[in-house]
Amino acid sequence: MSDGTARVRQLRAGPTTEPQIELWVFGLNHRTAPVELRERLAFPDEEVADVLRRILAAAPLDEAVLVSTCNRVELVAVSARDVDIVEPVTQFFARERGVSAATIGAHCYVHRGKQALQHVFRVASSLDSMMVGEPQILGQMKEQFRLAVEGAAASRILRRCFERSFTVAKRVRNETGVAGKAVSLSSAAVELAKRIFDDLGDKTAMLIGAGKMSELAARHFVSNGIKSVIVTNRSFDRAVDLARGFGGTPVPFDRYAQYLPLADVVLGSVTTSGYLVGPSQLHDVLRARRRKPMFFIDLGVPRNFDPAINDLDNVYLYNIDDLAHVADDHRAEREQEAVEAEEIVREETERFWRWIARRDVTPTIVALRGKLDGIRRAELERALVALRKLEPDERRALEAMTQAIVNKILHPPLSVLKQLSLQDSSEASDVAELVHRLFALEPDDAGEAADGDDER
Amino acid sequence: MSEALLLRLALLLYFAATVFGGLSLVNARESNRRATALSLALGFLVQGAAIIVSSFEVGTIAVGTLAEQGALFACLLVGVYLLAQLRYRLAVLGAIVGPIGFIGALVALVAHGGAQDVPPLLRSPWLAVHVTLAFLGNAAFALACLVSVVYLWQERQLKSHSVGQLVRRLPSLETLDNVNFKFLGWGFVLLTMSIVSGVMWAELSFGRFWSWEPRTIWTSIIWLLYAVLLHGRVTVGWGGRRAAALTIVGFGVLFIAFIGVNVLTPGQHAESFG
Repeated sequence: MSDGTARVRQLRAGPTTEPQIELWVFGLNHRTAPVELRERLAFPDEEVADVLRRILAAAPLDEAVLVSTCNRVELVAVSARDVDIVEPVTQFFARERGVSAATIGAHCYVHRGKQALQHVFRVASSLDSMMVGEPQILGQMKEQFRLAVEGAAASRILRRCFERSFTVAKRVRNETGVAGKAVSLSSAAVELAKRIFDDLGDKTAMLIGAGKMSELAARHFVSNGIKSVIVTNRSFDRAVDLARGFGGTPVPFDRYAQYLPLADVVLGSVTTSGYLVGPSQLHDVLRARRRKPMFFIDLGVPRNFDPAINDLDNVYLYNIDDLAHVADDHRAEREQEAVEAEEIVREETERFWRWIARRDVTPTIVALRGKLDGIRRAELERALVALRKLEPDERRALEAMTQAIVNKILHPPLSVLKQLSLQDSSEASDVAELVHRLFALEPDDAGEAADGDDER
Repeated sequence: MSEALLLRLALLLYFAATVFGGLSLVNARESNRRATALSLALGFLVQGAAIIVSSFEVGTIAVGTLAEQGALFACLLVGVYLLAQLRYRLAVLGAIVGPIGFIGALVALVAHGGAQDVPPLLRSPWLAVHVTLAFLGNAAFALACLVSVVYLWQERQLKSHSVGQLVRRLPSLETLDNVNFKFLGWGFVLLTMSIVSGVMWAELSFGRFWSWEPRTIWTSIIWLLYAVLLHGRVTVGWGGRRAAALTIVGFGVLFIAFIGVNVLTPGQHAESFG
């Protein structure tokens, strides 16, 4: 590559990789914040639309989607460039949830630009999950994206961004073995049970609530030979369905407590405002089962079981963080498998980032003009060397002619691009992308820029 | 083969058991576990042979000195452990039993030659029966105590959610609890049998079946203690942490009483084992 082209590419890379908007991720997850704080900041689905409406009014945001699960609360947002949203968003959450802004600040992370995009793709692909590859997160994101679309909080950019993230997640699922690793938290739970119990073959598990994760864990217990499973759920039909799945016994939700003494392993994943099981209640349960050990696994956020029960003799309580801690031993192995997936995410991030960048067609116009003009100059130069004996006015005529050719060629595509940009539709990006491909405009400029980014 | 040579061999085997036991803490390979069990078993047999040899020299079971008693106790403890690990997956506990056997053999070797004659009054086949039963019982209680210590440690690890490599190597809490119960049960039966044999021996040889002296008083207390513990387990379901803690207390009392009575106080038992 000659110095000249390198310089041109550099000049071009500037404007084309810098979109006129800013993409943000503001949030906290299981790695940055304790479960107590996460449950304080979690938003139930019913509130999401309202919260989004208010946050769009409170902070200088154009679009916003709230991703709120047991392990993360994240605001994905679009703002104008050069606007700082961190302060107003922090204040908003602090006000909304009665947590000090300093606490939020200490536990939250902020990604912007391409990094934010990559984060969204990683979350959707379950690469950022506590249990890498767990299938639940995608469904939750889809649901919360739907709420944002219905509430008109997600439009042009975020709509494409989330839809794309779902496609990326599908690719990751299909093309890598990451999804198979979803079992790691469940195996940690089974492993712990084997530290407590001699033989699972005479033990009973009780499933309170029918969350994906507890279902997965229950399956793991079944395949490790647990004798029986009792299933209870607010919707009895769902309990019956689930129980049929692993030959268990469904019991009505309002009467599960009387079956508690039968359970050696209790998995909780109910959305509840208070604790389902506390020390005083458990006292009687323990007496009824002659103090045989009980293993409680709390997969719910907010938590289902009072942490104080861990202090009772023969009661072992693990919440989702504790399980992850135990599962950490296998983390290295899992991360090895995630490398491929990360590669897919990176590739998709680059592609989509280019798309965002080209929503503003000016850089494309500049690039296209520059490219053709570059060709014109180079060819003209060569011709002038061959036609050494030209008169100055002959030279000027030649120059004007080549200029005119280029302008005539450029006129229709440029006017289409300008028109599209006025309509402000996402089509502009697609057309710009096409133009870049047709004219081989900096095919990997964005890729080179990415190498300079700080990689996490 | 001389006793000293046997003891040296036993020492070597127990040392090997300790090393293999330690290895199986680091690496849970089946070969490590087997090597531990095998060297323990050989150590047990060789040390047993040494005790038999010295018993023949003394003319009755060799328990004249505290060192001999310690050696016999350690040897029987290894034996009881070997029997138990045939039934239960005790895995790495061999790593703790190995050193106990080693110390027992070492004590016997150091004190070797200092065997004390048993007073003629006590030279009787009853002595062997009575003492062996008592020591087997004590060995079972000691193992129950050991298992309880492991239980309490592991329980604390699990409660505090720190599950390291070592915890993964240990038997499950329920196994430890069950084994504790079994050891207590056997210990209690053996202790009872040893008391009964002592009573019969006293009645037949001395004409009075019971004499109130420190050893018998303490033995009664210990018997009652374990009786209460076992009763609590069977009826109320005392298990887990509480049972483990009480087991340790029980053995603590037993150990202190044994040493204390041997060293400090007079009486029929002390007369012989002064």
